[in-house]
Amino acid sequence: MSIRTDHPPGVIIHPLGPVPASILQHLAISVQDRCQISCLVGESMENPGYAQDPEREQYSCKRILQQLHRCCTPHSWQVLAVTEIDLFVPILKYVFGAAQMEGRCAVISLHRLRPQFYGDEEDEQLLLERLVKTALHELGHSLGLTHCRRRTCVMYSSTRIDDTDAKMADFCPTCRELFRWRLQGTG
Amino acid sequence: MAEASKKKSFKVVPPGKKKCIWMEAGVVSYKLCDHNFDCQTCSYDQGMQLKVARQRASLTAVPVAQPLPDEFTPTWVEKEMQLPAHRRRCRYMLTGEVDRKICANAYECGNCAFDQMMQDRQQPSQLPVQAHASVGGFELAEGVYYHDGHTWARPEYGGRVRVGLDDFARKLVGRLRQLSIPEVGQAVKQGEAAMELQRNGSRVRALAPVDGIVTHVNYEVLNNPSLIQESPYEGGWLFIIEPTRLRKNLKNLYFGEEAQSYLEEERERLFARVHEDDRIAADGGPSMDDITADLKDEDWSTLVKEFLRS
Repeated sequence: MSIRTDHPPGVIIHPLGPVPASILQHLAISVQDRCQISCLVGESMENPGYAQDPEREQYSCKRILQQLHRCCTPHSWQVLAVTEIDLFVPILKYVFGAAQMEGRCAVISLHRLRPQFYGDEEDEQLLLERLVKTALHELGHSLGLTHCRRRTCVMYSSTRIDDTDAKMADFCPTCRELFRWRLQGTG
Repeated sequence: MAEASKKKSFKVVPPGKKKCIWMEAGVVSYKLCDHNFDCQTCSYDQGMQLKVARQRASLTAVPVAQPLPDEFTPTWVEKEMQLPAHRRRCRYMLTGEVDRKICANAYECGNCAFDQMMQDRQQPSQLPVQAHASVGGFELAEGVYYHDGHTWARPEYGGRVRVGLDDFARKLVGRLRQLSIPEVGQAVKQGEAAMELQRNGSRVRALAPVDGIVTHVNYEVLNNPSLIQESPYEGGWLFIIEPTRLRKNLKNLYFGEEAQSYLEEERERLFARVHEDDRIAADGGPSMDDITADLKDEDWSTLVKEFLRS
């Protein structure tokens, strides 16, 4: 399978398994507006059964990112996969998202971003806010940004969902400058 | 005018702080204890005792008919002894460790049965941790000093120091099979190996956070190392030290916000170390309770040694 790259450089969002189209469309518009880079929704990719870990009953980000990397074409800049399954990386109990540091692939899980996971009522607006924050965070990692100490910066490391809710859907001035500078370098 | 305002002022004792025994006895107007009531090694107490001794020496040269100088300062014991017998507060009442106890032994604590009982009771039993802070899923106990080798030291009443492994070490070493800690009477030095942790046939040493002589050992944790997993800052304490260079040692340890920053750095360092081959960065999740069990290809002792700095 290869990934379409109609408007490189930019971000291509791929649903990994079934994901509502309205969510992906909102994410594409938000990323485009906030990062000033082209962003489009790509074709759906198969549910990553290959990444399932029977012991943890979760899906390995490492294997998903390896698979996404294999599918990248030389011209595509950034692949952002969105999935409903629960993700993990070794030593952490779960992750909201993961990315290749200074790489081209990232993956986000909606599983723990949904308010229903915490026993709260369904709230699409809150889900979308959390999704955009996580997407910006992973795009930051893809451009080589590390975690920020400022609690309101989108690059702050979220251990719990409360941390994600407490941060802004934007970079702090320092991370913003670094993001732009790295973006120019890739353009 | 200045005197009037001085009279109106009142002394505020910040939450969590305690009055110095000299203030409690009314000898000095304001002084907080910054030495955990370890009066024998407290420079303020020594200074006050010296001042009292000097004044007393100067008084012996004064003819009896002369009035006593205004600046005469009694010791806190003398101040209490001026009170009627039923109002002479025991030193454990003065420090707030017991609600009410009247001294019936003329402050001769050395041969007081109650004092002996309090000494025996206080030292081995763990004190409850006041509050925890979570840094990236790792717990930090308040009022505790942290060594960069992930051991902690908590000065307690009487000047002794309790020692244990911090939450980062707890998660990193995981379920221990066996544990070796120094025996009572053994000397330990800050930054030098004092404990040995064993798991699956591998051994790793852990460093002492302060200098001193071991006075008590937690035999319960020796018999049941899983107590460290249950509560590293309370039931999982390892031993108690009579410190020999506490003030100097504490300057080399992390406390409060410094400890939080250090733990954040260590968390990032651990994640980068574990994912150095695949270069993954992630957002989310606290660490597993048994980190090395989650790393099939990683050697337990190599990783633990690296972070315990042994």
